[in-house]
Amino acid sequence: MKKVLSVLLVLGLVFTLAACAPAATTTSDSGADGSLDAVVKAGVLRVGVKEDVPNFGLKNTTTGEIEGFEIDIVKLLAKEILGDENAYELTPVTAKTRGPLLDNGEVDLIIATFTITDERKLTYNFSTPYYEDAVGLLVKKAAGFKGLADMDGKVIGVAQSATSKEAVNKVATEKGITVTFSEYATYPEIKAALDSGRVDAFCVDGSILGGYVDDSTMILPDRFSPQQYGVTSKLDNIALTEAVDGYISGWLADGTIEELITKWGLNY
Amino acid sequence: MKSSNPFALWRWEKMFGEWQMFGEGFLRTIEVAALALILAVVLGVIFGVISTSNNKVMRGIARVYVEFFQNTPLVIQVFFMYNGLAIAGLRLSVFAIGVLGVGIYHGAYVSEVVKTGITSISVGQVEAAKSQGFTYIQYMRYVILPQTIKIILPPLTNQAVNLIKNTSVLAMISGFDLMYMADSWASSSLDYGPSYVFAGLLYFMLCFPLATWARKYEERLKRNDIARVPFDPSEEAVTC
Amino acid sequence: MLDVFNNVFTPSNVQFMAKGMALTLTLSVSVVIISIIFGTILALLRTYEKRFLGRLAGVYIEVFRNTPLLLWVLVCCFMIPYGSIVMRGGLALALYTSAVLAEIVRGGLNSIAEGQFEAAKSQGFTLIQTLTFIVLPQCFKRIIPSLLSQVITTIKDTSFLQVVAIPEYTRSGFVVMGRYTTTPEVFMIFSVLALGYFVVCFSLSCVVRSYQKRTETAS
Repeated sequence: MKKVLSVLLVLGLVFTLAACAPAATTTSDSGADGSLDAVVKAGVLRVGVKEDVPNFGLKNTTTGEIEGFEIDIVKLLAKEILGDENAYELTPVTAKTRGPLLDNGEVDLIIATFTITDERKLTYNFSTPYYEDAVGLLVKKAAGFKGLADMDGKVIGVAQSATSKEAVNKVATEKGITVTFSEYATYPEIKAALDSGRVDAFCVDGSILGGYVDDSTMILPDRFSPQQYGVTSKLDNIALTEAVDGYISGWLADGTIEELITKWGLNY
Repeated sequence: MKSSNPFALWRWEKMFGEWQMFGEGFLRTIEVAALALILAVVLGVIFGVISTSNNKVMRGIARVYVEFFQNTPLVIQVFFMYNGLAIAGLRLSVFAIGVLGVGIYHGAYVSEVVKTGITSISVGQVEAAKSQGFTYIQYMRYVILPQTIKIILPPLTNQAVNLIKNTSVLAMISGFDLMYMADSWASSSLDYGPSYVFAGLLYFMLCFPLATWARKYEERLKRNDIARVPFDPSEEAVTC
Repeated sequence: MLDVFNNVFTPSNVQFMAKGMALTLTLSVSVVIISIIFGTILALLRTYEKRFLGRLAGVYIEVFRNTPLLLWVLVCCFMIPYGSIVMRGGLALALYTSAVLAEIVRGGLNSIAEGQFEAAKSQGFTLIQTLTFIVLPQCFKRIIPSLLSQVITTIKDTSFLQVVAIPEYTRSGFVVMGRYTTTPEVFMIFSVLALGYFVVCFSLSCVVRSYQKRTETAS
């Protein structure tokens, strides 16, 4: 009994202290306006990117390098901020791990198909959107589904921490159908669940789905909840955010982004 | 601007608002653990007894079962049942996979415990029983096993604690157990701190009483010297 | 059958999974070494130090032995500010395994007869000296089978790290599996995954068994 009390006391103390502590678990290497300078001083731009999304960020198993549209953006940013387009370090992230890695200072930016939402704006800074996509559904051809309406009573697989779940929920309620969700940690698991029939549809941004289509599956024509991707940075790093935002807006205006989108075949 | 403190009070409030979700997960964890434990004990006794038989083929079968399930990770076994079997056409419910997967895995460990318990009962008793005309099944049932049960309770309880912890593997296959609920909530609300602490507390509340009971029982056994305790405390401490 | 095999086991896939296994083994060994060191410290504190530190060690051990590893993997990977994801996963595994090893070592310590302490004291050894030169060497000799068994468990535990996309063996297998959808291909990948772990763990368990046999016949 005494042991239990000691354990509970220690846990309680630790977490009460933490709860009362002032806001910062932020690391101190980037002050409110020193964030851009910190990157320049470090001499390398650390970015979190996806490594399992074809055309956005996909690891080439032969060369071992991650390639894609978002990596090209990383290179452009490295060139602008540090003068060298190879002065960057990529960290592979998933929908689940990208937020925490940013908060902890492990990366300076996240460019990983990160959708801008109002709720997320409370926790992160986003640049002007560099790409717009919408949530789609990947299903088995053999199942004969024609659209979201056919998903009534079915199971939909989503990735944890992704916006797809809310997006589908909203549309489903509007249409008056009910769906249940199964959440998984990474995309390959959802694809495996689709193949094995555990879920009836794999739901995530259409561009990501594009990489998982094969002979037995197809993407339904429905698209909902337009998703805008932004370059993400920590809430406190104002200077860095503004700089990045400036560059992105510039590239949107002069067509650089458009060129990249065409290069990677992403105009749907 | 909201604070970025992962343990901020408002996050705790938000989480406790969702207590039903955690409650459902907790209930499912308990259900899966209980049924898996029963399965593990049943399989453990069966294979434990088989592995002490005089028949070489039977011993071989028991050995294959034990070696296979002790030397492959539970994660792979569960994913195989979840996706592998499903692709081949056999789609079990996640609940069934939890019970079967965790139960069969721990059955291998329980059978080793039972085997050690059985072989620790002195040969003299077996000889005496045989001389009285008991058949194998009879002396197992009336002489050996009752004594075995008493001495294997501590390591068995250890297995039970490991089993409860291993039900968390359900979180990886969208199993709606406590760990899945905690993780799901943490990912969607970004309130990691409270979510994981609460889940940890609940698991602790399940496991700690069992572990403490096992320790007290073992001390009582040693004091009363009911039987030699054949289990090395170091061996017992190994998790699985 | 053969063409399924060739289809699945392309050179790049094989290389990818081999790297996964390398990471699994590296992680396991590093984690066990760290855990033995930290676990021994915890065990010593808990057994011989009855004041604050000893109680703290006891709390640590009980907390980590009665909560799932998966929980700590998630906590460490999402809430710790430093290090790569592999290091964080390794840290979670090390924290957890240290508690287990602390109990294993404690079991070994308790089996050393009281008389040894008294004998050492009578010879003028301090507690630290007694521990270093007399007790710990004997303790470790006795717990070698349990230590090796725990190594086997740790190798299997690394498979839990796949939820945070750490590229160890299980994760590499799942990534490869993402590109194959037919039953024979999927089964083949699962078989290779299971086989990989089985070969490593079974060999180790044979070592444990032969060591136990040798020490049994010796005593």
